[in-house]
Amino acid sequence: MLVQSRQQTLRLLAMLISLLQCCCLVLLFNICAVGVEPPEEAFSDEQLAFFENRIRPLLAEHCFECHSGNSATIQAKLRLDHRSYAIQGGESGAAVVPGKPEESLVLAAVRWKGLEMPPDRKLSNEQVADLARWIESGAAWPTDQSLDPADNKSGKPSAGYDWQKWRTEHWAFQPIENPQPPAVRDRSWTKTPVDQFILEGLESNGLQPSKAADPRVLIRRMYLDLTGLPPTNEAVVAFEQIYSANPTKAVSEVLDTLLASRHYGERWARHWLDVARYSEGFGGFLDNAGYDHAWRYRDWVVDALCKDMPWDDFLRLQIAGDLVGEKSDAIATGFLSLGPTYISDGGDPDSTAQARAETLSDRIDTLSQGMLGLTVACARCHDHKFDPLPQEDYYSLAGIFNNSATQEIALESDAVVTAYHQHQGMIQAQEKGLEEARRELRESTDEEKKKQIADRIQVQESQLNELRKSAPVAYGKAHALHDTGAADMTVAIRGNLLKPGPVVARRFLRILEGDDRTAYSDGSGRRQLSEAIVAPANPLTLRVFVNRIWMHHFGQGIVRTPNNFGVLGEKPTHPLLLDWLASSLKQTGSIKELHRTIMMSSAYQMSSEMIESNDAKDADNRFVWRFNPRRMEAEVWRDTLLSVTGEIDLATGGPPTDNIESRRRTLYFKVSRNGDVFPTDEFLRLFDFPLMRSSVAKRPTSIVPQQYLFLLNSNFMQQRAIAFSDLLLREANTDADRIALAYRILYQRQVTEKELALGQAYLTFAQSDPERKKLWEQYSQVLLGSNELMYLP
Amino acid sequence: MFHRNPFPTTSRRQMLSRIGAGFGTLGLASILAEKASATPVVATTDAVFGTIPHFAPKAKHVIQLFMPGGPSQVDTFDYKPAIANYAGQRPESVDRKSLRNTKNGLMPSPFSFKQYGNCGKWVSDIFPKVGECVDDICFIHSMHTDIPEHAGAIMMMNVGHLQPNRPSMGAWMVYGLGSENENLPGFIAMSPHAQPRGTLANWGNAFLPGSFAGTYINIHDMRVDSVLKNLKNNKLSTEEQRRQIDLLAQLNQFHLQQQNGDDQLETSLKTMEMAFRMQMAVPEAFDVDKETPETLELYGKSEFAKGCLLARRLIERGVRCVQLSHSIDGYDIAWDTGHDDIVGGHKRLADACDQGIAALLIDLKRRGLLDETLVIWGGEFGRAPTSEGQKGRDHDHYGFTVWMAGGGVRGGMSYGATDEFGLSAIENRVHVHDLHATILHLMGIDHERLTYRHSGRDYRLTDVSGKVIHDIIV
Repeated sequence: MLVQSRQQTLRLLAMLISLLQCCCLVLLFNICAVGVEPPEEAFSDEQLAFFENRIRPLLAEHCFECHSGNSATIQAKLRLDHRSYAIQGGESGAAVVPGKPEESLVLAAVRWKGLEMPPDRKLSNEQVADLARWIESGAAWPTDQSLDPADNKSGKPSAGYDWQKWRTEHWAFQPIENPQPPAVRDRSWTKTPVDQFILEGLESNGLQPSKAADPRVLIRRMYLDLTGLPPTNEAVVAFEQIYSANPTKAVSEVLDTLLASRHYGERWARHWLDVARYSEGFGGFLDNAGYDHAWRYRDWVVDALCKDMPWDDFLRLQIAGDLVGEKSDAIATGFLSLGPTYISDGGDPDSTAQARAETLSDRIDTLSQGMLGLTVACARCHDHKFDPLPQEDYYSLAGIFNNSATQEIALESDAVVTAYHQHQGMIQAQEKGLEEARRELRESTDEEKKKQIADRIQVQESQLNELRKSAPVAYGKAHALHDTGAADMTVAIRGNLLKPGPVVARRFLRILEGDDRTAYSDGSGRRQLSEAIVAPANPLTLRVFVNRIWMHHFGQGIVRTPNNFGVLGEKPTHPLLLDWLASSLKQTGSIKELHRTIMMSSAYQMSSEMIESNDAKDADNRFVWRFNPRRMEAEVWRDTLLSVTGEIDLATGGPPTDNIESRRRTLYFKVSRNGDVFPTDEFLRLFDFPLMRSSVAKRPTSIVPQQYLFLLNSNFMQQRAIAFSDLLLREANTDADRIALAYRILYQRQVTEKELALGQAYLTFAQSDPERKKLWEQYSQVLLGSNELMYLP
Repeated sequence: MFHRNPFPTTSRRQMLSRIGAGFGTLGLASILAEKASATPVVATTDAVFGTIPHFAPKAKHVIQLFMPGGPSQVDTFDYKPAIANYAGQRPESVDRKSLRNTKNGLMPSPFSFKQYGNCGKWVSDIFPKVGECVDDICFIHSMHTDIPEHAGAIMMMNVGHLQPNRPSMGAWMVYGLGSENENLPGFIAMSPHAQPRGTLANWGNAFLPGSFAGTYINIHDMRVDSVLKNLKNNKLSTEEQRRQIDLLAQLNQFHLQQQNGDDQLETSLKTMEMAFRMQMAVPEAFDVDKETPETLELYGKSEFAKGCLLARRLIERGVRCVQLSHSIDGYDIAWDTGHDDIVGGHKRLADACDQGIAALLIDLKRRGLLDETLVIWGGEFGRAPTSEGQKGRDHDHYGFTVWMAGGGVRGGMSYGATDEFGLSAIENRVHVHDLHATILHLMGIDHERLTYRHSGRDYRLTDVSGKVIHDIIV
């Protein structure tokens, strides 16, 4: 007996240890020490582990459905989700009498003596024995569990985070300063305060800034950066002229034009849609719903950027647009509602709970990485291993989304909606009548009657046609969030919703709001959450937001892990610049102004030329001594190809297309969550369009042979080559002129002699005119598929 | 108090963009080696991953014969004569909740069993040819998984997680080891007609770089020149295309010089050449007509057998991982016909794959490839020994059988056991995570050290679990 119990003890200890170790992996370095407070009541670790491993799961699986705070009706007024309730008992008396199994009603019930619980099936002998043993040894239950959320406001550290230390020591949690731009030696280089921060870093590290980019390179950069479309040859020539006299004026004017363009919104919306893991749904077997109206959210983002919506409204509406904005602002909640919504495919309770947990995790993950640069979803099963994010905080946020659901909303007034449905009702009634008449006609044998019916049918048919013609167009809809309740949620033990722990209040993260937090009571709490996210005192949102903008301009963020500002993320290369940009945005509210601030700088206007001495010291270009050359994203590359051949359709907004032959901008390609449903998915995935399953921090660049098979063999490339060769053959008269024109259109530069000679040699290979045309197409395909077109210097 | 990230994202990212060169052909190990000589940053990175392989691999290739839908263990390889003694009864040990809450009694297997090989393994008469190979096979009878639903359990088996948001096992392997043939994908997934439930996720890369995703090929309507999209140019001859590529390469070379060298641009030049060669190499690899009549006869005519033959051709050419999923009648969880009718459903499915599987084992062995190739057979779970309806069986995630052959596992072995009726794994229980850990181990990978950082944490195939079953390794 003794031996056996020692073995059991060891096993329990092992379980406990594995519990504590759980989840986040490969820790090569020590985590900041966690000082666990001793439990107030004297239950041993072993007793508590036994409870967590053997008893709580048992109660959760077999009892909580009817006997917990989450029960639809609490049966027999008995709750078994807290020790004190269990001792207090229900209608029949004390369910648990610590130390006295024979007096505990719960034990009699599971033995089916008097009461028969659980009613559907007896527990196993082993489970009954476990319960008896647990009660006998005092019914251990962790004491940190409060009965209701009010108790959790005590401010007692739920986990051993040293909050004060975190707030003062981790850079990202400190308040945003408004730093003075530093003094620099070379004043001639600095055009804006941005340059002072950059140059200070370069000078103090012995690095030289690269020379100014060639104006032809610069204008192409600005066009592709702000609109995702290349400049026309005329625009390049005009820019170059003004630039030679007054570079600042030239740049400023181009910025005015581009920032006012609808295409600016299209380009920058895509950056945000990556963060929002935007797709049209179709996530596969557990999440296969399509979101037909998802594009309303995409267009909302485009509109918001075009009208330069202040950054805080932009974010606030995406969390709570249905609660705080105009009617149409509910569309903005697509940021959350368009995420995966998992179901279970067999109704198994474990899978159902898992599906719900996974769905909540998506909302928290997207919100916290996207807006706060924190990986709160890591705290789903346990306290965050690296950042001060206790598991309770996860369920404080989860509670908010547990009370929010997606619905289709009408984007028109009630009158329009009613009129539409009334009219549709009339059409249906008419159809039904017609159907009935046709049936009568078939069944009737009387010729005379048949004729009457036929006449009637004719009249009905024309009425139906009239009705159909006069039908109002279908009104617009969107997938938006709405509040469904206001209940707090329980912590899920080890992430399992079937193992409820203590109830936690809905409220914001402790690390950001402080020890004394407001519990949310207004509906789901989303409105209050949205205020907390954009609150001036919250140092993360603004930093995360401006960092993304910087990253898209420069190819690298000031913080190079844009979705993770926690301890595992990178530190900012230019912390003061980050804060200066953040406080600028805070002051103006204007995103467009921020673009201008950045793009007017010498830093942005540098060339990407390699400087060996710099490269030796800073190969990663962390100090921004040159412009980062990079490959175009899938959308920019395809839009560029369609632009240079003159084929692009620049219509804006509206439903997406899954037609790969479409000439609309790539933003309007239909995208499924797994990237495996539409032909348009296939193209995008080939060129590194990320999976829209979770928030995308930055796009990877892969170089795979299939991309070259596409360049060489695809119908798309062949079609563009034909269009481009037709254009060249039409617009110029000699091979030399045509080649020169091609280089101006594609690369905004003169062709070199060597390139000209190569081109001519390639083209003169042909003997006949049809062969020549074919060669021109092949040659055009080469130029269109070149690295020079695809890479931005 | 705060520790610096030991692997700066930039160098990692650059490293991964290089791995991206071509189907993940290079793999992590070669990248680390390459980088180690170039920059000291890698020293820390190297410490994280160690050198891959972490130790001498037993196997170089994996062929997974995936049986979606849940084949019944007691009607195939887990012989339980005791069922007949209690037919129609429901002893306590089998009185466990099933997906559809079936309450019926035990149902003896409608198939007869006989002993095969020197090991005397009992095998059902629906797998007579596989039966002949038992001395090369290690049966794991004590598999168990988390839930009794197809979707989640299939994901568990193929990506190590119940939701389709993690990299597949094959993607992890190519990420860790690369491929041995740079003109072919490192990971190829195949099935006739229907893709297994979960489709792309079963061979997907999830958050790993795209080049590690499996390339899927439907063997039913496969044509050798369209195995991959855009594999063939419908306008140009090879010579014409060569000229075109030479020009493009030359222009890109000018551009490269102008940029003073750049990793990505350099890689792109190599990758284009690879694409050109693939146009020949891929159709060649998939052309089973090149096989001798004797070999073709060995495999037989079923579509699944064609997949088996292709699997051999692919690993022979250096492909790291092949996942071949079974399907008949265009059903994505083919073995699930077991709900209604074990005789009808299982017999037809076994008939469609028995010869192909046996041929694959025989063929690999006689070519000396079985030692370095790990063949894995199994579904996402099994089926209960009790009946569902008159002739069927409900899902069973408490216990099921997976077998492996070659690649360093012991032949003629049965590991672990279910209870006397075959419902629950009771002896030497093996979770799917343990199976994955063992497979990676056989490939020379420590499953705890093959990680990828995503969304603020390091992920691995086995999540936070997995222990290697050393007892089955030679």
